[in-house]
Amino acid sequence: MSQATVPVLLPTGFGSDVSNADREEARRRRDEWNAVDQSVRSQSFWRDTGKRFLQNKTGVAAAATVLLLALAAIFAPWLTPYDPLLGEPTDRLQNIGSPGHILGTDEQGRDMWARVLYGGRLSLAAGFIPTVVAAVVGTIIGVTSGMLRGVVGTVLMRFMDMLYAFPAILLAIAVGSSLGPGLTNTIIAVTIVFIPPVARVAEQATRRVVVQEFIEAAHLSGASRFRIARSQILPNVLNDIIVYASGLVGVAMIIAASLSFLGLGSAPPAPEWGYMLNSLRGSLYTTPLVTIVPGFFIFLTSVAFNMASDALREAMDSRL
Amino acid sequence: MLRLIIRRIGLAIPTLIGVSIIVFILMTVVPGSPEAGLVPEDATPEERQAIRDQLGLDDPLPLRYVDWAIAALQGDLGHSQQRRREVADLLTQAWGNTFILALVSAAFGIALGLLLGYLAGTRRGKIADRFISVVSLGGLSIPSFFLAIILLGIFAGGLKWFPSGGASFDDPITALRSLVLPVLSGSLITMAITARVTRAGIVDVFGADFVETLRAKGLTEFEVRRHVLRNALSPVLTTSGVQIGALLGGSVLVETIFRWPGMGLLLYNAISARDLVVVQGATLVIALTFVIINLLVDLLQAAIDPRVRGAIA
Amino acid sequence: MTEIETTPDLLDAPAAEAARPAATLPERPLMELLDVSKEFSVRSDGKRVQLSAVNGVSLQVREGRTLGIVGESGCGKSTLARIIVGLHQATSGEMIFDNKQISTTKRRPREVVEQMQMVFQDPSSALNPRATIAESVAFPLQVQGRSSKEIAARVKQVIADVGLPANYATSYPHQLSGGQRQRVNIARALALQPRLVVLDEAVSALDKSIQAQVLNLLTDLQREYQLTYVFISHDLNVVEYISDDVAVMYLGQVVERGSAASLYEKPLHPYTQLLLSSIPSMDPADSTRDQPLDDANNKEIPSPINPPSGCRFRTRCPHAMAICAEEAPRPSNQADDHVVACHLYPGSSSTSLPEQDLRSLTAPAL
Repeated sequence: MSQATVPVLLPTGFGSDVSNADREEARRRRDEWNAVDQSVRSQSFWRDTGKRFLQNKTGVAAAATVLLLALAAIFAPWLTPYDPLLGEPTDRLQNIGSPGHILGTDEQGRDMWARVLYGGRLSLAAGFIPTVVAAVVGTIIGVTSGMLRGVVGTVLMRFMDMLYAFPAILLAIAVGSSLGPGLTNTIIAVTIVFIPPVARVAEQATRRVVVQEFIEAAHLSGASRFRIARSQILPNVLNDIIVYASGLVGVAMIIAASLSFLGLGSAPPAPEWGYMLNSLRGSLYTTPLVTIVPGFFIFLTSVAFNMASDALREAMDSRL
Repeated sequence: MLRLIIRRIGLAIPTLIGVSIIVFILMTVVPGSPEAGLVPEDATPEERQAIRDQLGLDDPLPLRYVDWAIAALQGDLGHSQQRRREVADLLTQAWGNTFILALVSAAFGIALGLLLGYLAGTRRGKIADRFISVVSLGGLSIPSFFLAIILLGIFAGGLKWFPSGGASFDDPITALRSLVLPVLSGSLITMAITARVTRAGIVDVFGADFVETLRAKGLTEFEVRRHVLRNALSPVLTTSGVQIGALLGGSVLVETIFRWPGMGLLLYNAISARDLVVVQGATLVIALTFVIINLLVDLLQAAIDPRVRGAIA
Repeated sequence: MTEIETTPDLLDAPAAEAARPAATLPERPLMELLDVSKEFSVRSDGKRVQLSAVNGVSLQVREGRTLGIVGESGCGKSTLARIIVGLHQATSGEMIFDNKQISTTKRRPREVVEQMQMVFQDPSSALNPRATIAESVAFPLQVQGRSSKEIAARVKQVIADVGLPANYATSYPHQLSGGQRQRVNIARALALQPRLVVLDEAVSALDKSIQAQVLNLLTDLQREYQLTYVFISHDLNVVEYISDDVAVMYLGQVVERGSAASLYEKPLHPYTQLLLSSIPSMDPADSTRDQPLDDANNKEIPSPINPPSGCRFRTRCPHAMAICAEEAPRPSNQADDHVVACHLYPGSSSTSLPEQDLRSLTAPAL
């Protein structure tokens, strides 16, 4: 028996007593099994989720609404000739549908349509940025403490629990009034409010995943903890976090609007929807429909996000 | 059970301390000098320093926290220069008003939510279910201050059925009338969440094996539903603590719009006036109330549901 | 398969071919455990207590052969499996692998990691649900820093080796049956070309017919790649079918070990006798369940938190004597490398035998 008969993949010296007949027999038996189950197509979880989401009409409509609002905010200058900050004092409090002002004018004669469009930039940013930042930071904290069961994990989650012990809006108000008014500070405040719940969702999902055997298998291959977190745990907790975070965008917008309603949000002339609603409060009895315009847009965006979030949850749930 | 109560209270103490530390830090690291409102504009640096020393503003943070916490435990939350009142006095008055509003809102919202959730859950996929789903999704998405403004426009402005603001407890009728609009605008979100949770719970329980067993045992549909409802209630109770918290936090907005003399309005006015001592006191009291309510809900749940009892102990 | 069959002297293959006198060459153990113990710190009634999961285990696995480890659930066999591959660090004890000493209480160097792999029990949780089959199999190779070309070739090879069609490479675990997933599980363990594979209840979760297929696959792969197996199971029939040597564990200790033939034919330890008497039939398609045995005294299995003094089995043993409570029996070689730890046999009690040193307990080869 020469060295040439030893298969390349074997450590040298091994298998020299295995006859070729044995090998062929083993091959034949495996080829028989190979013949079974031939029609298998790849079914990626994310592609499946996407397909199911697209089948949900409500979800698609909601996502389209969100997209439309975002586009309208981005391309505001092309959609209106008016300046959102400059008003015509003679045109104050025009009603909805008045000539030249589709949505009327506010108490300083500024065009409402222009203010709604430009304001969408601020309000959508206040909904999106805190959610995305909190999702990233919360995931890092949650996955870390879910993996490390020692002191670090406990301390991190205990701190999160303490922030969680505040009602959301109250914490945002407290942080907001500590930092002072301004859109950036509002975004920071809402982010701080959202990190603990995201961390909790991520931690629970991580705990569910780390006890599974494929994590042990990953440890066995010599992978570092960071590598396991990134390549094995993260893809398995991401769906929970995405579903949860998608439901937070609407809440973030409402909290941000609440803060500017209270005077803690973006600085006064800026057309943030929550601030607009507050400043128009005085004209509720004269031009009620104009007054509710900014509120209507907060509501519309929030509903659209919540519906899209529900559809996403359903699309992910029906797996397996 | 007694051991359980003690254990659970023991767990709440670090949370309470943590909450107070967060509140303290938030109001201490504020940009600007805290003595600015207390000294005359033309004060000399020496005079400023005297005030700072008197208030202990240059002490290390942990020491200041301990001083503040000890005073707070004795009921001293500081003195509001703007209002010329003790913060504790202001809060005691306001706390009762907020508590009444939050309690009535919670009761109303949870009761209505239970009813709607039950109807939707037992008529899954039918028109009633779809309608209720839309309503609860709307309730979840509408900012309470926006709803408050709409209600004001319709019922106080247009129809003049209810007062547009203030609280009056002179006689039961006026008291009830002044409660209606704030309760409606505050409780819609509670109703929405409760309805969604109840519906999900009922759908779950109806899918469980024991319902088949009950039917097989020959119970009437009414009795089966009673069992289902009782089993679906647990998640509702779990969320109710958070709901009351949301109501307490949301009170800032609702009370501001309806000029309801509670902690929310107090907080709003204090924020506008940059009266940080009051902001600090009100935030602390609302947060502590929330922690204690959650504790009570946990214990209540443990008393009702043996599974939860096991989980806590 | 009997004791007389030998593997060639691997370091000197051509010479061995020239003259290979049967049964005279000493068989080289690939892996040897020396007095390995593992204690866990657990909470019981609010107090911290030590749970002795594995206690003083010494074992050998011959190169290219299969060592079966049997025992009821909770006897520490899964913990032992994880100590062998380095997933758990032992509290004390040593390991000799390929003539080199390896610490069981510290993290492994990576060249040892590659040589020992494990096949897990639960086919549904052993694979990352978000990764394709190829990604799962490729992961250990990526971690070890192989080139992408090498990884692609190895993945293709190993998926074919375990009898899966190539187009399964891009599918996801939930699309596969339990048996197919277990093949992937095996493929992943083989990707790094390990020399020792620990199989922890590798077929227990599968249907009987699938079990047979997977067992055949394992023996084929062993023959083809000269793999050494540690096969852990509660199932006596399956263990007998696949193993050359068998060790019986009770409450963290090995109570008896020997060649599969002699142990099943002539069980010495009362616990082994009890286990074997409860097998319904010798057909592998008709296996035992993972349940506490309904033994003569019908006593509960004692807790490993506070194990019985002396012989741990005495509380359930029909032959329990006074000495059993006082003194732990030592392993003694009865015949033909058949070792038992029981006071019923000469050499197990200290009074009848002088102090033995550690090496002599495990040698000569099991």
